[in-house]
Amino acid sequence: MFPGASADREEAEYVVVGAPLDVSTTFQPGARFGPERIRRFARTYDDYDARTDRHFSDLGVHDHGDVRAWDDAAEYLEYLEGVLTDVRWDDAVPLTLGGEHTVTIAGVRAVDPDVFVCLDAHLDLREEYDGNELSHATVTRHALDAADEALILGARTGSEAEYERAAEADVTVVPPESVGEWSPEFDADESVYLSVDIDGADPGFAPGTGTMEPFGLTPREMRDAVRDVADTGAVEGFDVVEVNDRDDGQAAALGGKLLREFVFADAAVADSDD
Amino acid sequence: MAKEQKEVRDLQEGNYVMIDDAACEINAYSTAKPGKHGSAKARIEAEGVFDGKKRSLSQPVDAKIWVPIINRKQGQVVSVESDDVAQVMDLETYDTITIKTPGDVSLSPDDEIEYLEMEEQRKILE
Repeated sequence: MFPGASADREEAEYVVVGAPLDVSTTFQPGARFGPERIRRFARTYDDYDARTDRHFSDLGVHDHGDVRAWDDAAEYLEYLEGVLTDVRWDDAVPLTLGGEHTVTIAGVRAVDPDVFVCLDAHLDLREEYDGNELSHATVTRHALDAADEALILGARTGSEAEYERAAEADVTVVPPESVGEWSPEFDADESVYLSVDIDGADPGFAPGTGTMEPFGLTPREMRDAVRDVADTGAVEGFDVVEVNDRDDGQAAALGGKLLREFVFADAAVADSDD
Repeated sequence: MAKEQKEVRDLQEGNYVMIDDAACEINAYSTAKPGKHGSAKARIEAEGVFDGKKRSLSQPVDAKIWVPIINRKQGQVVSVESDDVAQVMDLETYDTITIKTPGDVSLSPDDEIEYLEMEEQRKILE
């Protein structure tokens, strides 16, 4: 169980769902260990958050456990989308723990947002990678099938074709050096899906990930971006993906912390709206 | 109520199933693979036949589940009482019944219609 995620499912405002898919990882595998590792490295975090004056265990978070993955990504995403749709139908926010970034496709389909916001080193705008249309390098392109717009924060690499796609009006790329000054501007009725690919962080901070890319974001920049997006109150689905077990816990620790930051910030907005 | 028992694995899209005591038609059916341990699970997404409400359930594929028996019948409109209520004669039994008309269907006397019936619940097919 994610530490503090002790709410009953019926009363939950947030539901953690582990999605340990690990089939298309192109370099270092191990994302299948991500969900359990994120839960493990969140154990030392205090329940109390001084900034928002709240206890995590009071925020109505439930842990559904993992949806065991198998090697047919299309079938798996269909089933996972169903599990996340059930969370939505219960009026809760799904918090998915990857697994490779491909699992975000299920989350975005379940939420059907207007805007897809992603912290990521990679554009992930490929149509296919190694002939695989459901590769983890195609996530943003799939997200744009549901969302009208994609914002990629911290992106610093992609193919020539991906950068050409990124130049179109429905994609905004904020390079790492500009993320600090970036602030979200959504229309009043727009819904948002927020995805955190841990490789958006500089690999010095989060080496436990499949495809490391230098010159990345600092943990504080990621935290501020997650808080700023959550503060809009528009986020209806969230995930942390691409954490693997090939470090001493840095990537998992950051992933778990960002999930908590999201929940604290989002819950504070929900309370102020009441 | 007329119903029969099946295993979850025998269901597919388009079938009827009882969820939360309501007759539903299955819109989506997906299964999770079981791995070496545990049993395969299916998730069913369905819509209430008579109330239009969306429902879902997740069950092991070998779980038993009730499937309602819904009759498809033919009738003839006798009179239209209002925008959403009509008198219809069952063309098999010649009984006259009062039935709610869906919002986007306009009926006139003598129109032949098809409708679903389960006990006292009825729905005109468009």
